[in-house]
Parts: sequence; structure tokens; C-alpha cells
Amino acid sequence: MNYPVWDVAFGAGLLMALVAGIHVFVSHFAVGGGLFLILTEIKARRAGDTALLGWLKAHTKFFVLLTVVFGAVTGVGIWFTIGLISPTATSDLIHIYVWGWAIEWVFFFLEISAALFYLYGWDKLEPKVHQWYGWIYFWTAFASMVVINGIITFMLTPGKWIEDHQFWTGFFNPTYWPSLAFRFCLSLSLAGIYALITASLIKDADLKARIVRWASLWTVPTLLLLPLCAKWYIGRIPADLWASAQGAMPTGSRYAIYAVGFLGVTLLLALVALVMPRRLHIAFALIVAVAALGAMDSFEFVRESVRKPYVIANYLYANSLYSSAIPGDGGFTVPGVNQTGVLNAARFISTRTITPANQVAVGHEIFRVECQACHTPTGYRGIHQLVEKRQWDPDKVHAMLGGIYLMHNGVMPDFAGTDAERDALVAYVNSLQTIHPAEIADGHEVYERNCGMCHQVKATDHLFSNLPRDPQAATDALKDLTSLFPVMPDLKLPEGERRALVAWVNTQRAAFPAPAAPAKGGN
Amino acid sequence: MLDPNLVPTIDPNPLPAPYWVFKLLLVVTFFLHITAMNCMLGGAGLALFARWRGRTSAYGSRIFLDIAKKVPTLLAATITLGIAPLLFVQVLYGQYIYTSSIVMAWPWFLVILLLMFAYYGFYFVAYKGEKKPAAAGKVMLFSIALCLIIGFIYSNNFTLSQTPATWAQKYLSNPTGWNLNLTEPTLIPRYLHFMVSAVAVGGLLLVMVAWANWKRDEEYAKAIFHLGGKAFLYATMAQYVVGSWFLMSLPREMRLLFMGDNPLATGLFGFGFLGAGVAIMLMSRAVRTANIKLAGITVTGLTAAIILSMSVMRETLRDAYLKPWHHPQEMAVSTQWSPMIGFLVLFVAGIVLWFIMLKRYGFFKREA
Repeated sequence: MNYPVWDVAFGAGLLMALVAGIHVFVSHFAVGGGLFLILTEIKARRAGDTALLGWLKAHTKFFVLLTVVFGAVTGVGIWFTIGLISPTATSDLIHIYVWGWAIEWVFFFLEISAALFYLYGWDKLEPKVHQWYGWIYFWTAFASMVVINGIITFMLTPGKWIEDHQFWTGFFNPTYWPSLAFRFCLSLSLAGIYALITASLIKDADLKARIVRWASLWTVPTLLLLPLCAKWYIGRIPADLWASAQGAMPTGSRYAIYAVGFLGVTLLLALVALVMPRRLHIAFALIVAVAALGAMDSFEFVRESVRKPYVIANYLYANSLYSSAIPGDGGFTVPGVNQTGVLNAARFISTRTITPANQVAVGHEIFRVECQACHTPTGYRGIHQLVEKRQWDPDKVHAMLGGIYLMHNGVMPDFAGTDAERDALVAYVNSLQTIHPAEIADGHEVYERNCGMCHQVKATDHLFSNLPRDPQAATDALKDLTSLFPVMPDLKLPEGERRALVAWVNTQRAAFPAPAAPAKGGN
Repeated sequence: MLDPNLVPTIDPNPLPAPYWVFKLLLVVTFFLHITAMNCMLGGAGLALFARWRGRTSAYGSRIFLDIAKKVPTLLAATITLGIAPLLFVQVLYGQYIYTSSIVMAWPWFLVILLLMFAYYGFYFVAYKGEKKPAAAGKVMLFSIALCLIIGFIYSNNFTLSQTPATWAQKYLSNPTGWNLNLTEPTLIPRYLHFMVSAVAVGGLLLVMVAWANWKRDEEYAKAIFHLGGKAFLYATMAQYVVGSWFLMSLPREMRLLFMGDNPLATGLFGFGFLGAGVAIMLMSRAVRTANIKLAGITVTGLTAAIILSMSVMRETLRDAYLKPWHHPQEMAVSTQWSPMIGFLVLFVAGIVLWFIMLKRYGFFKREA
């Protein structure tokens, strides 16, 4: 609201994911791959393996062309993109961590310089001097990771920084060390995986086999270590954040399953390569790399999903509203905007009054400033798809907007704005769908359309634990949801739908395992 | 009347060091970045020119390949040295830069793609230039064109960031980010001011290359020197026209800053104006008398001083544009001592290590 919102038709979030998703895959290689270069050079020189040295020279060129060009430019690309998509968060992070970034820049400058000296020095320098550049490259690249890791993990788990606002408190936050271990391990795996790509192009089968075996030493043990790092990492995420990452929509827990799956596939493929090292084909090496990319990006999505609804946990929401009032917030908090109204608070908005004629257009502008950081009208996380399949009429949309902060275990911030603005947003959302009025006879369908955003099919969920078991009593109770529980949206389901829902809920409850006996003194 | 609400509110986190610290770092790192950019783009342009002229004169393709091999490293320097001023400008002027970037989001985002293609193009020329000369010329032209477009997008964004009054109209008429700042009267002269300076500084890069070859192959070195020296001369002369155009395109009160209203800006402008004249005279003499040291030390040093003074002038101009909105004295400061000292120590250690790297590679070796 403070800044204009870049209206990306297919989704600004998707664009961010694309840029970051490809960058991390190369930038981690830049760290582990640096250590791989230097240790492989030492190994080859000790063994007097000139063939291996010859390959390593070519691999260095591949490494530099990929990391110094693609890695560095996409890294700048992340900067450009976060500034365009989350300017408030970027501004916060810059002011909190400019010195961290400045330190990283020093390392980055040395890293790029050392990489170029190492590449151009292959035929020019004494082995010892050449290796000296290799070591400088690796240590400065590693130092870049050490620094940037503090800022990335700060966004997920700022920890006590929320109270003391101290640089180091936020930097060495609860997930700092597990994340560093995870990322470094992954970078070593990637060193081996990328080596397979250039090794696969070698004609000398003996040399190819030697490299594949050597690369496997980098990939296999580190892939086995990664689940341990991930467990440590997850253990350091506060329970409330991790709870919000579990629900019906693609969430942290689901991406974690993808990450484990892709890791498993990567490991399996790496082992296949190890079994048949002489026959490694470029297509196979690329498939291994794609599986690793899947694992890496799934992990990044876990992090992003767990962080929802925040961009800086417990501080700033994804839609750039602060999660609680702080001095200098400019009124950009949910209560603040409730008071002033979106149309008064937002800077870049064309209409500041709502009339029946402009309600939909104003609703669109409210959608842009408040929802479009994550959603689009019809594209990525499109509202059209979300409401059309649930067939929410305007009354339902209105009611649901009152409780969006409860949906999917709290992945969205509350709606901020006046009642008239909420009506305008409802009118806009309604313009994105076509309603086909019909009563639903299938209880599961009624649940999916009306309840599944907040409730989960499990014995401890309020719907399944608190709803009366008697069908008639339950059908009557569902008549007035707000009297059941004050935060519930005031949905008015027809009696037939309520009856069908109750019947389905009772079938589900019958299938739940029997609850454990309550502990003494428990409530 | 100005609408104060047009400029976003700065975020609640205080500056982690006094304003002047970031301003100083911004000026110094911008100077380094723009010098690297000038060497890269001007060097690439002159290399291509040498090749094109090479049909009628000796050494054309040799100069082309010699310089083309240096361009990827110079682009790496441009990007790496560009990160720091981009960081520091966000610390001080974030609310302006983010907004103008969003207003012209797609062109700004495309910089990344264009840069990638340009970069790989330059590498292609450096690695394959000898074996595939026909393609190398075309790819070089293509990469230079991309860099020229990137420069143009930068000029659009940085002029737009200084004129908040134009944001709302542009953004609201096209919130998808397909905007530029083409109606800005200073855009073209400002852009040309940078691009013409790239030719001049690219000329100085050639002077340096000539110097490095002076003892090894004097005839070749003189040919490069001649090309570089003349490029510097003509570009700096052209800068009088472009610079005057830029000055005249500024709003009156900003123009007057450089003509007496602001002593610092006027002094720097005077230094740049006269310094460029002196540089022309000295370079002219250096080329005439084949005095490489005069060009390599005196003219280069003078030009560096002029670029540095222009970098300060650029800040003065930005602050003048943003005066109605930007009030540094009102920005909260809470110095983060240990991270700041950590940076300064590492910065100095980094420079020392960098010079050791250059030395061990043999950069400072005297030729036998």
C-alpha cells in the first residue's frame, strides 16, 4: 500500500520463484564447486594425473561461465526482483542488514576476482600459486554464504530480534546454523552433480569412470547427511510457524515431501552413475541435475511456505503490512488500515471514493494493493480458480473475507480496510466468477466448498470434535455458525447442505482411531 | 502543488550509520562502477571500431581481439562494482528507487536478461573471436547494443526516481510496469553524457593497453595508442556539446546550482569544464609526440578526478531534485558499530588481498 504494486498478470510470486529458483541452484554450486576444483587439482597433481588435470581445466571454464556470469547476474536479478515485488521488506532488510550485504559484497568481489585468476592462471601460474587462488576463491565464496545465510534465515526466524532489534541477534537466529549446514552440504552435493555433466562428455572411459567415482564421493555422503540437517532445521522453526505450514493447500509440509522425494531420486541416480561410471551419458547427468534442482527448489519452497503469511516472520506480512503497530510504521498495519481505510492509506490508487458505479473497479485496486503480492485475478494462485470451484456467492465471499486469517492454518494476513472497501473487494472477486446456483447433495463437496479452507479432517479439529453427534442437533447447530464459535464466518447454508455435511462428518468421525485415554489431571 | 503522499513513507528501521557515511560510500563505489562500465563499453565499442577500420589499416583485427578478450573481465568488474552503489543508494534513497523501478518494472527487470545475453556474447567473442571472426563481429555488435539498451534503461530509471511528481500518472495509466521516462527533458542528454564518456574512457583503456605493449611491440602499441588517444580527444570534445545540452535541459534552479548558486557544485563543474579542456590539450600533445606516459598518467589521473567530481555533482543534482521530499536530517540513525567496523576492516583487507592477487599474477612485473 505504501508502494505501488507491480501488476504481473501471471503472478509476481511466480516470477520471484523462477529467478530465485534458478539462482540458488547455481550459487550453491559456486560454493561447493570451488572446493571441488581446488581439491581435485591437488589430487590430480599428487597423482600426476594429467588427464584429470586436463578435464579439470575445461571444468573450470564451465564453472566460471556458469557461476560468474549466470550465477552473479541472477543474483543481481534477485535484488532487482525483490525490490520490485516486496519493496517494503527490501527497504526493511536493507536498513537492518546493509552492513551484512556490504561485507558480502567484499567477499563477492574477491570471489569473482579469484575465480577469474584461477581460470586464466591454469597455463600461466605455478601450481602452488594457482592453488592459492583456488583457496581464496573457495573461502570467499563460503564466506558469502555464511553472510547471506544470516539474512535469509532472519526472514524466517528473526527470533529475539523482534524485541531487541540488534544486528547479531537477528543474524545468528534460531535457524542460522542448521540452514548453513544444510546449504553447505547441498553445495558439496551439487559440486559432484555438476562434475557429472562435464565428465559425461569425456570420450576416455577410464578417465570418465575416475571422475564419476570421485564426484560420487562428493554427492552420496552429503545427500545422506541432508535429511539430518533438514530435521535439525525443522526442529528450530517455532511450532506456530510450522503448524501454519500444514494444511490443505500446497504447504511447507507438502514441499518437504517433494524435497525428500527429489533427494531420494537424486541419490538413487547418483548411485546408478556410480555403478556404471564408464557409461555415463550427458542426458543421464542432466536428469540427475534436474532431480537435484527439484530437491533444492522444494526446500526453498518449504522455507517460503513456512514463512507465510509473513515475509519477515512476526514482523511484516507478505502484503507489506506490519503485523503489529511499531513506531514509524506509517499506519501500515491491519488495525491502522481498518481505521484509515485502504483508499486513504494507499499511495498509488486512482479512486478514493466508492460509488455503486465504480465498486468493481475500486475493488480491483484494493485487490491489487492488498492481495496481489501473492495472488492474481486469473493466473498463479488465481482468485478466479479459487472461488469458481467453490461457487461462493457474494454473501459467502463477504463472510469468508472476515476470516481469511484463519484459512489454511493462518497463511494469510487478515483483511484490512473498511466495510465499504470489503464490499468493493467482494464485488470485484464476484466479477471473476460465474455462479451456478444449485444445492449440493454430497456432504464431502459441501465440506470442500465451505469448510476445508480452515478445518482439517482429523479428530482434534473443532468441527469434528465439537459438532453434536446427533444429526438433527448438528444440522440445527450449523444454522448459526457465529454462535457456535464467534470467529466463524456467518455462512448460511441451506438445510439440505447442512444435513449432507453432518452425515459426511459423522462418517468421517466413525473412521477416526479411538482417542487415547486422557492423562490424569488433564482437561 | 506537490502531493506529499506521492512518496512512500520510509520504513521504521533507522539508518545503521550516519547519513554521510553511506553518501561517501555511494559516491566512491559509484565512481568505481561507472569507471569500470566506461572501460567495458567504450573498450568494446572501440574494439569493434578498430576491426571495422581494420579493412583499411593494419592491426585492426589484432586490436579487436586484444581488447575483446578483456571485455568479459571488465563486465565482471562493472557488475561486481555496481552492486555496492546499488546497495548504498537503496539505503539513502530506497523509497524513490523502488517506486520508480516499479513504475517501469518490466524494462528494469529485463536489464537482467539483456545483461546475461550481452555477457555471454562478450565471452563468445573472447573465446571464439579468432576462429569465427565473422560471427564475432556480429556478436560483439549485438552485445554492445544490449549494453546500450541497459544504459538507456538505467538513465530512464534514475531520472524517474528523481521526479516523484510524475510517478502516479505513469503508474496508474499502466500498472503492469511497461513504462519508461521518455518525456523527461534531461533523459537523452544525460544518457548521451554517460555514453560519450564511455568512448573517452574506453580510449584511455586503449592507452593503458598500448602502454603495456610499449616495449614488447612498439609499432602495434603506437597504433592502439593512436586509436585510443583520438577516441578520447573526439569524445571529450563532443562532451562539451552533450554536457552543455544536459546543463541546458535541467530546470532553471538546478542549472543555476552549477553556475554560482551552490559553491561546491559550481566549483566541481568548473573543475570538470576546465579539466576536460586541459585533458584535451595534454592528450593532443601526447598523441602528437607519442608520449605514452603523459597520456597514461597525467590525462588518466585528470580524467579520474573529473569523473569523481562528476559523481559528486550527480549527488548534488539528485538532492536538488528531491529537495521537496528528502530530508536527511529527519532520518533516524542508530549506528551498528560492530558490523560497520567489520565491514571497514574487511573492505581494507579485501583491497590489500586484491592487490596481492594482482601482484602474484604478475601484473606489476617490470618487463625485462
